[in-house]
Amino acid sequence: MTETDARPTAPTRKTGPAPRRAGLLAALVAVQAVCAVFFVADVTADFTWDGADAHTAFEAVIAVALVLGVVFGALEIRRTLDRIRRAETALSIASGALAEVIETYFDRWGLTVSEANVALLTIKGFEVAEIAELRGASASTVRVQLAKVYAKAGVASRTQLLSLFIEDLMGDDLMGTPSPSPD
Amino acid sequence: MSQPSETLSGSAHPPSKGVKWDPVVRVTHWVIALSVLLNGLIIEEESQLHNWIGYVALAMLALRVLWGIVGTEEARFSSFPPSLSKALAYGKGLLRGEHPEQRSHNPIGVLMVYAMWGALAVVVATGIGLEVFHISELEDVHEVAANLLLLLAFGHICGVVLESRLSGVNLIRNMTFRRRSRGPE
Repeated sequence: MTETDARPTAPTRKTGPAPRRAGLLAALVAVQAVCAVFFVADVTADFTWDGADAHTAFEAVIAVALVLGVVFGALEIRRTLDRIRRAETALSIASGALAEVIETYFDRWGLTVSEANVALLTIKGFEVAEIAELRGASASTVRVQLAKVYAKAGVASRTQLLSLFIEDLMGDDLMGTPSPSPD
Repeated sequence: MSQPSETLSGSAHPPSKGVKWDPVVRVTHWVIALSVLLNGLIIEEESQLHNWIGYVALAMLALRVLWGIVGTEEARFSSFPPSLSKALAYGKGLLRGEHPEQRSHNPIGVLMVYAMWGALAVVVATGIGLEVFHISELEDVHEVAANLLLLLAFGHICGVVLESRLSGVNLIRNMTFRRRSRGPE
């Protein structure tokens, strides 16, 4: 990550395409259910008054297909929602784990409250000028605090600071590649 | 520009509380609500539109029943068996200021939801009996069940508002289609 392509991340997560897909599927299945009821009612009425003929039989096939469509549509929505929920759980576990790792490191380095705040914002991708604005401090103060953070962490740049946390999350056995020593 | 969050893991918005209803529950809920409102209070009983809306309500009820069998965990019937004793205990707890986290409908809501589905089923069945099979004896049952359903719906709204106040969980927002900030649940 370079200094220029790091963008601040918004704290709110937008509804992704997957939940929207589930919502769309639900609306579609609802419409299908209405069609199914109309067709079943129509077939029942035709059968009651006119008896079984080719037309009624054909309509009956359509009615059955529609009902089956609703059932399978519902099952598909269920699968989609389960997938979304699994992903959300995994994400929340991962973000919880990351927060824990970050907190542990900050404690170990003995960061002050201000330094921890600056460090966190840096990890989140905010620039010095933006951090200064958010904290109501001057850019030079932030720069000094950031330098102290780097010194306490034993790193030379934002990239190295980030890599500390990412490395911990990845685990050594996952990559099997040597990691550079921060010293 | 977003504000920095105070804690490491938390976003600026606290996670929403209460059950996050899935889209099938929401769609069926609101279409049924609209159907009951239209047919019960606005549309003329003799009109063809009244019948069509009745079929739409039947379709939504059928879909909800199907969803109660194959749907998400909180939407399945097995997650909310009706229990009078649990409802009483829950009501007493609410008055004492307790509001335990719910995985599905709360125990009082359970009774209400089954009562409304039952009433709706009777209204739809008698409506079909009247319109399709011309069984005029069903007229009174249809009328009484429909009024009961409207009464239950009114009670349901009062219950939701009251419980949202008591528990601090915005139950209405959990059923509408507005985007919620999603936190770990």
